[in-house]
Amino acid sequence: METDASDSEHVVPFQLQFDKPIASQVKIAEWNPEKDLLAMVTEDSKIMLHRFNWQRLWTISPGKSITSLCWRPDGKAIAVGLEDGTISLHDVEASISFTSLPCINNASGKLLRSLKSHTAPVVCLNWEEESELNNTGNSLVFEDRTPRFFPPAPRVPRTPGVVTSDASFMDDNEDSYRQLSNSSYQRFNILCSGDKDGSICFSIFGIFPIGKVNVHKFSVPVSNSDKTQHLLNASIYKVALSKDLCQLIVLFSGDLIESTAAASEADKVAGCGMHGLVLDTSVFGKRKNELHQLAQQASNIEDLTEVIRASLSVMSKQWTDAVQSFSQKFVSLDTLITDHALDSSPQEEFLSLLGGARTSPAVHQFLVNTLGEAGVKRVSKLVCGAGKELQRVVHDHLQPAAEIIAFRMGELRGLSRWRSRFQVIGLDETLVAHATEKSGMMLVQVERFMRVLTSVEQQFSNFFNWLLKCIKLLMQEPSDQLLPYNSELVVIFLKFLYNQDPVRELLDPSEVDHPVQADLETMQRVCDLVQFGGFSDTEYLRRTLAKEFQQMESSFKEAFLMPFTTISRKIHVVDLLPLFPLPSLPLSRSNVIPMSISYYEDDSEANENNFNDYICFRVPAESLSDDGNYIGIVRGFMHDQRNLKRGYSTLEAVLLSMPAGYNCADLSLYKDTQVVLLLNGMTNAPETPGDACMMIIQANELPFAPVSRSIDLSLWKMHHLQDSSACLQTENEKIRSIPYSVVAPLAVSATRGVACVFAARRRALVYILEEDEDEVLETEA
Amino acid sequence: MQLRSNFMDGCSFPLNGFEVILNRIKKLAPELHRVHFLHYLTCLYHDDYFGALENLRRFFDYSVGIGGFDITPVPSRSKGFERYETGLLCLGMLQFHFGHPKQALEVLTEAVRVSQQQSNDSCLAYTLATICTLSSEMGSSSTSGMLGTSYSPTATIGTSLYFKQQLFVLLREALKRAESLKLKRLVASNRLAMAKFDLMNVQRPLLSFGPKASMKLRTCPVTVCKQELRSCLHLVSEYGSESPTMTIEGAFSTAWLNNLRRPMGASVLSLDNGVGESSNAFQFCAQPSSIPRSVLQLVGSSYLVRATAWEIYGSASLARVNSLVFATCYLDASSSSDAALVHAKLIQHLATFQGYKDAFSALKVAEQKFLSISRPVILLLKLQLLHERALHRGNLKLALQLCNELGVLASPFNGVDNQLKIEASMRHARTLLAAKQYRQASEVAQSLFCLCYQFNMQVENASVLLLLAEIHKKSGNAVLGLPYALASLSFCQSFNLDLLEASAKVTLAELWLSLGTNHAKRALTLLHGAFPMVLGHGGLELRARARLIEAQCYLCEPNYSVVEDSEIVLDALKQASDEFEVLEYHEMAAEAFYLMAMVYNKLGQLEEREEASDSFKKHILALENPQEEEEEDEDEPVSEMLVEKN
Repeated sequence: METDASDSEHVVPFQLQFDKPIASQVKIAEWNPEKDLLAMVTEDSKIMLHRFNWQRLWTISPGKSITSLCWRPDGKAIAVGLEDGTISLHDVEASISFTSLPCINNASGKLLRSLKSHTAPVVCLNWEEESELNNTGNSLVFEDRTPRFFPPAPRVPRTPGVVTSDASFMDDNEDSYRQLSNSSYQRFNILCSGDKDGSICFSIFGIFPIGKVNVHKFSVPVSNSDKTQHLLNASIYKVALSKDLCQLIVLFSGDLIESTAAASEADKVAGCGMHGLVLDTSVFGKRKNELHQLAQQASNIEDLTEVIRASLSVMSKQWTDAVQSFSQKFVSLDTLITDHALDSSPQEEFLSLLGGARTSPAVHQFLVNTLGEAGVKRVSKLVCGAGKELQRVVHDHLQPAAEIIAFRMGELRGLSRWRSRFQVIGLDETLVAHATEKSGMMLVQVERFMRVLTSVEQQFSNFFNWLLKCIKLLMQEPSDQLLPYNSELVVIFLKFLYNQDPVRELLDPSEVDHPVQADLETMQRVCDLVQFGGFSDTEYLRRTLAKEFQQMESSFKEAFLMPFTTISRKIHVVDLLPLFPLPSLPLSRSNVIPMSISYYEDDSEANENNFNDYICFRVPAESLSDDGNYIGIVRGFMHDQRNLKRGYSTLEAVLLSMPAGYNCADLSLYKDTQVVLLLNGMTNAPETPGDACMMIIQANELPFAPVSRSIDLSLWKMHHLQDSSACLQTENEKIRSIPYSVVAPLAVSATRGVACVFAARRRALVYILEEDEDEVLETEA
Repeated sequence: MQLRSNFMDGCSFPLNGFEVILNRIKKLAPELHRVHFLHYLTCLYHDDYFGALENLRRFFDYSVGIGGFDITPVPSRSKGFERYETGLLCLGMLQFHFGHPKQALEVLTEAVRVSQQQSNDSCLAYTLATICTLSSEMGSSSTSGMLGTSYSPTATIGTSLYFKQQLFVLLREALKRAESLKLKRLVASNRLAMAKFDLMNVQRPLLSFGPKASMKLRTCPVTVCKQELRSCLHLVSEYGSESPTMTIEGAFSTAWLNNLRRPMGASVLSLDNGVGESSNAFQFCAQPSSIPRSVLQLVGSSYLVRATAWEIYGSASLARVNSLVFATCYLDASSSSDAALVHAKLIQHLATFQGYKDAFSALKVAEQKFLSISRPVILLLKLQLLHERALHRGNLKLALQLCNELGVLASPFNGVDNQLKIEASMRHARTLLAAKQYRQASEVAQSLFCLCYQFNMQVENASVLLLLAEIHKKSGNAVLGLPYALASLSFCQSFNLDLLEASAKVTLAELWLSLGTNHAKRALTLLHGAFPMVLGHGGLELRARARLIEAQCYLCEPNYSVVEDSEIVLDALKQASDEFEVLEYHEMAAEAFYLMAMVYNKLGQLEEREEASDSFKKHILALENPQEEEEEDEDEPVSEMLVEKN
């Protein structure tokens, strides 16, 4: 494998694990933070999950173009950003348990949840967990009481008779609800995503959206003047939350516009290019306990509303199908009646049969010839079976879900009353109280629906029993073996159910605005209950179940929107740093600027829990005046209160010039302020496989120069540094040559100490960064 | 039971008119013994228990061996002697109603024997279920001996724990029997009984030895919710399979005719058929339900059990919603005692969460609704509310009088009406505590603890322990109070009494705080841990207390400065004083206003300070003259209410 003879006398760093061909070019690759798993996205938007030994666990193709990917901090799920602005979560855990037999489990990589929070392609994702260090300070731990009092939450009911492909999807979803909702064991974490339009979204546990900001909305005051700067055409490149979740560094391209307070002056474009932004997200860090509680309850409630929605639609469909087949069977009676030139309706004919007055030939013919005993039995089985099935859905899904929602809402109401803590995150007392009322009404409505359903089912079976008896009598067969019937119920059936369908109307979402007639007694009772502390809105009796559900849902939405807007408002900009200019044209994906942000524990300072940030990026050749080939490293961008108090600005930067003949294909920050660089030789002829190298440099030993924070106009920070740029010496660093021309991405895992490099000719190479090659060579020799 | 409920499927009717008819039948056809049974049912329906007993006896005298029932719970009827055990069962239930558990048990044991002899399985199942109800409602001491003799002759040690164990076995046995006989209704009611048992009792493995025996001694709310209460609801869809003819022909016509004046009822009998009018579809919902009333009653009572369970577990919203579900959907089918109970629950809820004003006005309505029959529940509620308010207002004389009244309601027999007795002496102890007679109060509480211990009433134990802690706290002996509070806390944890646990934590915080200001931080942490429970599910009093203590904790904490962050204390105090004012809890409100005035004084906001001190003065004056307030009380002074009741 090793062809370069000059390297063999040195210790060759980075043990090569393997070098394998790959089917298609990879555009995104990320290592699992906990296990040796590599998630990759190919050019044709397939997600592949490989083990460290390159054994493939699964491949899925979401069908849309994937624009970003990241792992959940616990390594059990991945978040995928799509071109249409959706972020979807995929499970990886289920497949891992099938250790020996990959691909046997079709459920691997299943979709857990998708959330459309953006309107533009999601280009970057960052999922950060609260660091353990911070955990000691606040000892307030809340318990989620629900698992103690309730059996596991109900799942989405299965649609009967649906073909397997769809059914397996439902099956997958079942576990996911449980897994995702059970977040009490999780450490608090936030998924942060940025899109091409400059929006940044935050969601707790990746499932509960908690905030959205747009960099266009921010304006940064220019020091020493009344001018402010704001942004246009911003497109996010990278977001990174600090370990304590208190600050967010955003890298984006865009036009910096300067505007004055006086409206007369026209806005002036100060510069377009790459900028860095620090956002204050301290509300996440400071209110994490409260947010954790809120997210846990609210996301569970949202899951359960999904269960209710699915239950309602399953029930509606099933019942409609059953009743349709019933009316299809009986429609021929109408024609028979007209054929016999009778001026009556089927109900009247049946009534006269019931009364024993006469049996009209039409009914006789219909019952004996058209329908027959078997026909009645079949319809009876169908309709009553559907009725039973509906009752089952109510018992096993709808009712428990509504009950748990009511319970969780009650818990949230308790939290909302704790104003000193929860008002800050926007949990509004009145809105939550309203939602609690609605969830209570839902429970009552479910009960009322159940009663209607039960009696409808009973009436149907009673009617069919009567029909069977009639048929037997008409055919003059013995009928004493049959089940008895109640003739009064038959009357009610003919009157109210024969050609009307209250169950469907209660369930059908299209008829929600149809008021239900409630009987006066119940109405009176409910009005009486108001002074006993019942629901003050007695109109709910007139709503259908579907309508009630809609209202409940919207009240929940309203209640949960409040925290969302409150938190969004609390995120504000701290600092803006123009990095380097870019040609005004938006960059195509082919020349994406490699950049990396990471936070390192600052061990130079005595105090613990102090993180320092490093931003590392390649400076495009056209951005600087001398067309040099540089990478820039900026550190201390994040504002640290302690440092500010001590009165020194920490912002420092260095420009590193690449060795001649190489340009930077990709870079990534690694552990202990190290930077892994992937360099491509520039002189390659197209036929040769090319040469490249990977190297690690120690960033904190570079000659950093302080950079002023003040925004002076149209001055790019990188231009200042051009004179003092350091030259990268290949000899002194850990470097390893790669016998291919390489392409981005470079996937480096700081926790696992591995790197994966992709060659232009569809090869993947995995290196262990912590081990040197020579040990292996010696053993071979 | 089934007979009784069948009977009640019909509409209510006047007692006297019906009795006249019955008497006439008796005269005309003396050999028709069923009339006596019908008479018995009528009496039962109108809660005339003595008349019921008399008629039942008469029925026995005439009909033993001859036959008289032909509506037996079993579809497959064997002719002959089987009525006897059914009669015994009825008699046993009556005895139980009268509060003669011993006699009832004797009769029921006999019923078990006879039905075993006759191999009348369903009657046996019903009898077993009745015995379960009987033994779970009576304490242990009166029945354990009996149970021991009739079921396992070897066991003569009647410890309460052993008794509970036996009851558990019995319940399971009854449930299994009912399930195997497919008596759906009985299964449901057995499940309810099981739920009631599991609610209050730790689940102990029947065989608990060996290394794998689980040592987790906790109640198990999940089983209560899942296996007992939720499966009880399945009855609604399953009852049809039990026996097909549950509805009586003619019942509907009666209802239609009765409802003829109303548009809904008329729609059935009207001539036009209303074909195709979709608005008519919902007239169906308005029709009298075809589900048998006994089924509805059972399902409805499962909601009542839920409401009670949530009161115990501590979820105010679910307790209320479940009561409302019952009151909205099942009130028409329920027995009047259940209806009274649910109203009592709702009023209680109002009193704890919205203050006495609303509660008393609701109570007035309820009193008009439930006149004679279910007076006990409502009366009890009224006494409770009055006592509570008297305590808050500081009218101790009245409070003492009221809790004596409460004690009188309980039956004088030992082991009967335990709940009521415990409640009465609990209130007595609290009254004594309010009167600052600590020694007497703690004596009462101690004896109460002994009583609870004797009957193995752990749930009550937890609150008695908390009361003891409270007594020690008030008497200024915080160190002594701590172990009681902690004991109560651990009781609460193992019985999942979350709300009580939260209030125990509040008391614990108070105790710590009274030990000295250096414990303020610990107290505050405890308090904040309990806050989600307290604020979400606690009543006004608990909430206000917790907030007051929170404010006190902040003020005590050495590194807290009023000037820097006054809002947090003032906010707490404001909410506390508001809530105390709603409750008319003068003593505590005065305290809150006092602290508020002090804080404003420190901040130099003189106007607000004066306002707070005025309120303080107002409450202190009200506390000193409790009588005045009672007199200006709307239109019905308490003394009058008491007279009226007597």
